[in-house]
Amino acid sequence: MSEIDAIDPLERLLNLVALLLDHGRPMTFDEIQDAMEGYEGSKATAKRKFERDKDVLREYDVPIETGTTDVLGGEIGYVISRDAYYLPEIDFTPAEITALFVAAQSGTAAAAASTAVRKLLYGADGGILSGAGGGPLVAGADTDAETVAAAADAAASRRRVTFGYRNAQGVVRDRDVDAYGVVFRRGHWYLVGADRERDEIRAFRLSRCTTRVADTGDGSSPPTGFQATDHVQGGPWEADAQDRAEVAFGDAAAALARSRFTGWERLDRASERRVILSLPMADEETMAALLLQFGPDAEVLGPASLRALVQDRLRDLAEAVDA
Amino acid sequence: MPERRGVVPTTAERLGRMLVVVPYLVRHPGTSVTEASALFDIPAEQLRRDLRLLMMSGLPPYGPGDLIDVDIDEDDEIWITMADHFARPLRLTRQEATAVRVRAAELMATPGVPEAPDLASAVAKLDATLGEAPIDAVSGTVAPPLLDEVAAAAAAHERLRITYVAASTGERTERTIDPESVFAELGNWYVVAWDDGAEDERLLRVDRVERVESTGVVFSPRGLQGAGRPLYRAGADDIVVRLSLGPASRWVAEYYATTAVEERDDGGVEVELPTRDLGWVAALLLRLGPDAEVIGPAELRERRRDMLRRTLAVYREQPGEPDV
Repeated sequence: MSEIDAIDPLERLLNLVALLLDHGRPMTFDEIQDAMEGYEGSKATAKRKFERDKDVLREYDVPIETGTTDVLGGEIGYVISRDAYYLPEIDFTPAEITALFVAAQSGTAAAAASTAVRKLLYGADGGILSGAGGGPLVAGADTDAETVAAAADAAASRRRVTFGYRNAQGVVRDRDVDAYGVVFRRGHWYLVGADRERDEIRAFRLSRCTTRVADTGDGSSPPTGFQATDHVQGGPWEADAQDRAEVAFGDAAAALARSRFTGWERLDRASERRVILSLPMADEETMAALLLQFGPDAEVLGPASLRALVQDRLRDLAEAVDA
Repeated sequence: MPERRGVVPTTAERLGRMLVVVPYLVRHPGTSVTEASALFDIPAEQLRRDLRLLMMSGLPPYGPGDLIDVDIDEDDEIWITMADHFARPLRLTRQEATAVRVRAAELMATPGVPEAPDLASAVAKLDATLGEAPIDAVSGTVAPPLLDEVAAAAAAHERLRITYVAASTGERTERTIDPESVFAELGNWYVVAWDDGAEDERLLRVDRVERVESTGVVFSPRGLQGAGRPLYRAGADDIVVRLSLGPASRWVAEYYATTAVEERDDGGVEVELPTRDLGWVAALLLRLGPDAEVIGPAELRERRRDMLRRTLAVYREQPGEPDV
């Protein structure tokens, strides 16, 4: 081992961070070389080693910046700004930090989330491990973490992005979108933004992207009052739906229906041995499709238009399969 | 920054985690090596080694008072002083801030997660300090009524008797299960359990559990895989269903577990679905209508025709309530 390597590189890096944080104004390489151990030897070799160290620091997002020193002639110097370096104080309760810890460990492994929470642990009052036992609670989303992060970053900095996208009908086309926000709903991540071609705000399910989300320049600001969540479609059974359907279910089918439709109400009728439920309905087409999946175990009682629609669908199928 | 096990960490990795671990240890004097090792996912020996090195660091030029002082006492507790420069952690990078909010949103959108309220207030504090991020969550579902009971039994390894309605067969059954783990995926809650009657493991939807009765019997967990497992596991008795789906029905390929998906020229797909039971597939075909064509097995075509006839019969009568 040469004399230059006698000091552990970790020790040298820690010293460099401490020195540049403490000095408060840019230091030239000569000054650094004089102030600390580890950069001895020929100037060219020492400078190369310093350049490699700088790369390592930047890899861990240590904000090492260059600036002009006050040395006569204005030589280039290096500094770490304390404001840029230190995490602001955030007082988390033990329960909050535990919740963040659980969240970071949940789903598909994301090293960045774990590191973030480990930095935030600093502000916790201890007792974290006792609350964070057990396995992961929530399985990952259907989209890889990188794609979600790219979309979220684009939205945060109001960027314009392009990506290949396969719509629900299977048609693949390139999209050109000003990113406004990302929304998670029922296992899916959506990018919400202004579709430049159609000139309207749309939601794109990120698992249907056929390419990476690529940054293509400055985007735009969302209109006032914009709420990303307003643009992510709910099911036809959403509780804010205007209409209701009345459906008679067999006993076991009623149990399934109650778990599938939120906002159901039970209508009891003495004359019926079946269970009658009133279900919120935003759109008849979708409701008809969902109820058809119950087969003979569900009968639409009303409205008459929905009943007729279900009957039409059944007849169409009967004709097609010759039943 | 957890390292790959068994791989020697690079200097950069060691630096990255020292800059995160040291502020915590300064702020929480007397943390044990075991606890720090678990919290930061660093092998204890590696942690000791890096902390010893830290002792030699400090603000140059090194007067006797400038060196960081690290002491690991006989109780294995860590005491660090004179580490002013490392007394607070590095800021979160943008990627880290995004990643933690993405994870938080996934949990908050899942109704029934006990940590959700604390997570919401933690994220609000992050927003207030680091700026808001355009990352939102909506749930779209409600928590299953018996989630707490099932989760408590899983945590205590307590055998349960349950009434369960299976969507695949539409049948209500009484089962005795050993619930091992409870997790949410795609907005639904699942319990992984050993089914005593079937003598096999089962993945059950918690929202389809109608009734729970505790037995007081404690079981030994068999180590069944929890969150992250495939929602469908192929079995020896599986029937392979092949369907050709029009563009309007291609969601089936996204929603159900498939073993093969082939694109059709018109935007539709041909899919291969493994299943234990044809009943639910026949019901699905009623929903899809003429847009779905059965390639095989022939029995499925028969089942569809039969279910269609029985459903048409339901509608042949006047509706049960003519005044609706």
